[in-house]
Amino acid sequence: MRQVLNKSRVLLEVWFSHMSAYRAEIVIWILTGSVPLIMLAVWIGQAQAAGGAIGEFTPQRFTAYFLAAWMSQQLIVAWVSWELDFQIRQGTLSPKLLRPLDIFWEHWFAHVAERFIRIPIMLVVVIAGVMLVPGTQITPDVPHAIVYFVSIQLGWLIRFQIAYCVGLLAFWFDQATAVDELYFVIAAFLTGAFAPLELYPPAVRALIEWLPFPYTIYYPVQILNGSLGWDTIGRVLLIQIGWGLAFVGLRRLLWRQGVRRYGAVGA
Amino acid sequence: MIIVDALHKHYEVHEKEPGLLGSLRSFVHRNTHTVRAVDGVSFELAAGEMVGFLGPNGAGKTTTLKMLSGLLHPTAGRVEVAGFTPRERRTPFLKTITLVMGQKQQLLWDLPALDSFVVNQAIYEIPDDEFKATMAEFNALLDLTDILKKQVRKLSLGERMKCELAAALLHRPKVLFLDEPTIGLDVNMQVRIREFITEYNRRFNATVILTSHYMADVTALCKRIIVIDKGKIVFDGDLAQLLEQASPNKIIKLELAAHVTDAQLASYGTLHARDGLRAEIAVPRSETSQVAARILTELPIADVTIEDPPIEEVIGTVFTGQDRRTPSAQIEGEVLHAPGAE
Repeated sequence: MRQVLNKSRVLLEVWFSHMSAYRAEIVIWILTGSVPLIMLAVWIGQAQAAGGAIGEFTPQRFTAYFLAAWMSQQLIVAWVSWELDFQIRQGTLSPKLLRPLDIFWEHWFAHVAERFIRIPIMLVVVIAGVMLVPGTQITPDVPHAIVYFVSIQLGWLIRFQIAYCVGLLAFWFDQATAVDELYFVIAAFLTGAFAPLELYPPAVRALIEWLPFPYTIYYPVQILNGSLGWDTIGRVLLIQIGWGLAFVGLRRLLWRQGVRRYGAVGA
Repeated sequence: MIIVDALHKHYEVHEKEPGLLGSLRSFVHRNTHTVRAVDGVSFELAAGEMVGFLGPNGAGKTTTLKMLSGLLHPTAGRVEVAGFTPRERRTPFLKTITLVMGQKQQLLWDLPALDSFVVNQAIYEIPDDEFKATMAEFNALLDLTDILKKQVRKLSLGERMKCELAAALLHRPKVLFLDEPTIGLDVNMQVRIREFITEYNRRFNATVILTSHYMADVTALCKRIIVIDKGKIVFDGDLAQLLEQASPNKIIKLELAAHVTDAQLASYGTLHARDGLRAEIAVPRSETSQVAARILTELPIADVTIEDPPIEEVIGTVFTGQDRRTPSAQIEGEVLHAPGAE
């Protein structure tokens, strides 16, 4: 246990130093993930044109929703598929395979460390957003904020495992990152980053509910905004855990098969 | 320490004609053929032994090293390293070995080298006191003090290789697989790295397998040589024996001050290469200095250097036309005599 803590601490520290070297790039990456902020402007315009609100969504609720959605999107960012794709195709995975540590943890801690550099910049944007639209209430109370924190970690678990699985496809295909590009398009629509699911046609929404995507952004945002009852929140967290574990299982399966293949043909 | 028995590694390789048409054809029908990268290799190494793996590019050296270190799964045959089956890559095995690839770097690119060392300390669970002791030793041998705090990407190739080696040996492995550890380094740095490897081998009684294109690496480090070609072992034995038999000649390189006929040059030895005023003559080792002295007095010479034939060429003479013979027969075969003969 002491060794596990020590490894975690060292990896976190070293990757924090590494990411600090990239702080300027991180600001740019943050800006590239601004779909919810653009959609916020679009939807506020729509609401005002429709006489002040679309359904239950006033400009204040749109602001609360999209600021939370933007923040959530930032907190679940994962670029591990690109790293894995590169490592597998260029063979830099080989030396890593000879260390007594699953390379998964190195990627995991790299992502976690990057988050610490991202969060302060994010807070500035969120506070500025709240001040720009008076009356915006992102969260009703501290308990909802705390549960949001748990829920967004689970959302991150799901997103990270999906990205990891996509990266592992490089064991079989030449360009696994093409699948990740596809993910960005699908996710923008299915995670709730374009619009709250309430504004989707009911049939489409019913379909999306069966997918893992809304559990990475839409539901954590609903929790933070205080739009869900506690019993629903409990159910959402359980489903998140379920999806997270399912993708952990898929990742492990892909890894075992893929490494065998790598060992059989390449390295 | 290492047992390799009838080791095979075969790959399926896709073939594609170049160009658009080739791409379309391979889209519809992929031609494949089997490459026997390693084709029945067997040898054993005792603890503390240092062995040089020689062979031309694509001979199967690196593939063999990768199977020994557990990266590749053998198609057939048995490998045992320190009592472990490498392909299982179990933690105690990984803590026993290290693989250094001169062409691939393992240090964290944007951070000081010291950070990579700290990561390795944690990953290999090296106690603080052992870490400090090892670092002090490596510092003394490799002069790392001033470079450890520099960003890896700002290090020179030589400095980086020193750090790579030290990082790879931090957990004091008992088995070292070194794949071209001195590639691209200048002569001084090559010597430093060699001395370090020798010293590490002596202190820790480590078993070392080394591949290199530099003859000097191999001559300085290894008594025993294993020569591989086309996936098969064509020589396994004493270095001196290999050198004498496979490379009985030295090359005298001349820069002439005036034109001299080929026939004149050939009177000193075998004319090995000729390009205008430049010429290379292969001369038996024992007669080298005598012949060089004669050339200097008898020919219009601008410059003269004496060299060993390039390693590829020496090894090449071991390989030429050798397919079905036993290793000893190959060494005694007529093709081995004169690298300058072809």
